[in-house]
Amino acid sequence: MHPDLDPQPRGLTRLLRELPAESAPPYGYSEFERRARERARGARSLAGGRRLAVAAVIGVGGLALLVRLSGPVPLANHAHNVGTSAAAPPALGPDDEALPPRAGAGERWLASLPSEPAVVHVGTRAAVVGLEDRIAQLDDLLTAARGARAAPARLAALQQERSRLLGTLVQVRYAETLANETP
Amino acid sequence: MTRLAEIAVPRELLTRACAGDAPARQALYVALAPATLTLIRRMVGQRALSEDLFQDTMMTFYERLPQFRHEAPLGAWLRQIAISRCLMYLRSPWKRARMCLEPVDCGVAAEVAALITPGYAGEHIDLERALASLAPTARAIVWMYEVEGYSHQEIAHAFGRSVSFSKTQLSRAHARLRACLEPQEHPPSCTLI
Repeated sequence: MHPDLDPQPRGLTRLLRELPAESAPPYGYSEFERRARERARGARSLAGGRRLAVAAVIGVGGLALLVRLSGPVPLANHAHNVGTSAAAPPALGPDDEALPPRAGAGERWLASLPSEPAVVHVGTRAAVVGLEDRIAQLDDLLTAARGARAAPARLAALQQERSRLLGTLVQVRYAETLANETP
Repeated sequence: MTRLAEIAVPRELLTRACAGDAPARQALYVALAPATLTLIRRMVGQRALSEDLFQDTMMTFYERLPQFRHEAPLGAWLRQIAISRCLMYLRSPWKRARMCLEPVDCGVAAEVAALITPGYAGEHIDLERALASLAPTARAIVWMYEVEGYSHQEIAHAFGRSVSFSKTQLSRAHARLRACLEPQEHPPSCTLI
């Protein structure tokens, strides 16, 4: 097959070719088949393990991607979640004036808060005090209007204004609460 | 010694084996397995490892048997599979790392013990001892060139190296074997080349 490229004593080739060969296979055909089945089973379980590992990696990657794409949780949602767990108020939107029951819930939540927070934020404190004063004034006006049997439209307007201020106050106080809880 | 490539298999037996006939496959095993194991053992040296590679080779052989196109003798086809398996092992990073960790003298002693066939004496033992003193790559090249009849081009292609690599390895191996086989006052120590 090959040309004699290497000037090599032919005696070595002859000696190598005369080396004794195996006289029998290391094991019989049935043993060979048994080992083949065993290896195939091992290869299948290895492939199964690999598939599981790949699925796990894809799952974790997908989850990480989902978390990454969803970004930071919006304050309103977070506030809602925290508020739910701490018997907090429902988030109040701009149309809360038309929902007196929700305003009532906000009022109850406000009542459950300590009158003075543990940490006072000067910026929010002024707003809170201002809102509380205006709500108190509206309460007085409402009482007076009810006593004077004022027109229902006037009472509804006062009530609406009170609900709006109350919603604002709830949002400010809740933001203040969150700021205090955040390390 | 009958070389694997020289083993003739009846066409009818081969056809039945290709079709999946179990007795025919068993007959092929009986006919081809000893020469296959001999080749693998000469290539890699160690008995246990040879049996492992033999199992791999025969499994691949039976898996691919339906694709055999009768372009070459069946023995030559099986020899190609066996040599490919051996070279994959010799080139594997695991094998290289193991060789680096093995103490040289112990490695040679173990390989000599593994290579020498019990029951043989005289010049065969000397030659087997000399073969075992070669590095695995050099031993494989000597065997492929001298016994299996591969050309330097074919060896270079199988190893993914140049033709001069094959020639250099073979030349050094010859020198080493001659030195081991010639009677000397101070025989060379069995260090890997």
